[in-house]
Amino acid sequence: MSGTNNIEDALSSYIIGRDTVKPNRPRFHIDAGNLKSAIALLKQCLGDEALYLSNIIGVDKVAEGVIELNYFIHVVPLGNTIVIRVTVPRDKPQVSSLIDVIPGALSGECEAYDLLGVEFIGNRYLRRGFFVPVDVASRGVFPLRKDAKV
Amino acid sequence: MCMGDSASIIYYRWFQRGKAFISSIAVVIRVLMSKLIRYSPWLAHFNTGACNGCDIEVLASITPIYDPERYGVKLSPSVRHGDILIVTGVVTKKAAERLRRLYEQMPGVKYVVAVGACAYDGGVFKGSYSISGGAGKVIPVDAYVPGCPPRPEEILRALLILLNRERVKESERH
Ligand code: SF4
Repeated sequence: MSGTNNIEDALSSYIIGRDTVKPNRPRFHIDAGNLKSAIALLKQCLGDEALYLSNIIGVDKVAEGVIELNYFIHVVPLGNTIVIRVTVPRDKPQVSSLIDVIPGALSGECEAYDLLGVEFIGNRYLRRGFFVPVDVASRGVFPLRKDAKV
Repeated sequence: MCMGDSASIIYYRWFQRGKAFISSIAVVIRVLMSKLIRYSPWLAHFNTGACNGCDIEVLASITPIYDPERYGVKLSPSVRHGDILIVTGVVTKKAAERLRRLYEQMPGVKYVVAVGACAYDGGVFKGSYSISGGAGKVIPVDAYVPGCPPRPEEILRALLILLNRERVKESERH
């Protein structure tokens, strides 16, 4: 776990919370405004080819009025996956895009936008109907929102 | 009646005869093709929205363990060379358009086998906002293989029944 401790040290100024999803999978909570700089710092510390963003999982938490975004990042030199979690308000779900830092974030961001309506500032390729059927997208419905009527 | 009229009637008759001749040749070619396909059916596999379970079984059925080449069954490199289209999974609205296009791109004598409960009527995905339904809603299906997922033996057996190479009781035909 010393590798993940190094990550924690590197991101210490950004981390606002930490827990463990399961053994060997730490989760770091970060403020949504700091996401891009935190990932850029991580990339700078570990090298250009060390990070593989495998998934962006969005969860709609209606009761709390937020949408959670979990970035599953595989750290290649460690052979380990970490989760970076940010939360954005439901009524204005915006977070900066990571495609400048990790171009592979494109499909995950397009998916989170199309299904949950999270806007990734700086991603010019976001559009409705990329994954969602056109009839649903044209009604302006985000189908993974818990209050969506599809 | 003027000369022009009678000439056009003659042309029309020749045209009709030519059409009838060509369609009878097409029927003969279709019969010959279906006889040839019977002993060397090439498969084209398309996942229209499966959970991957059925795909694994389809791939298992073309491994040397089940040795489908003893029946001449092979996976074709392109749908344009395929004789039997194997559809796995529920047909999503997005995949429906692609499925229709693939079916149209297959050459003349063609069959469709829908593998699994999802390809039959939506299975576990039934009622979802993003699906069109079973494969039969989009293209004509010749055989359904029941199961979630079906075993590889069942998939191969369905192909043989479809090609009239295995005797089955009438009640067993789907
Ligand atoms: S029938 Fe079962 S195994 Fe096949 S795609 Fe549907 S859920 Fe998956």
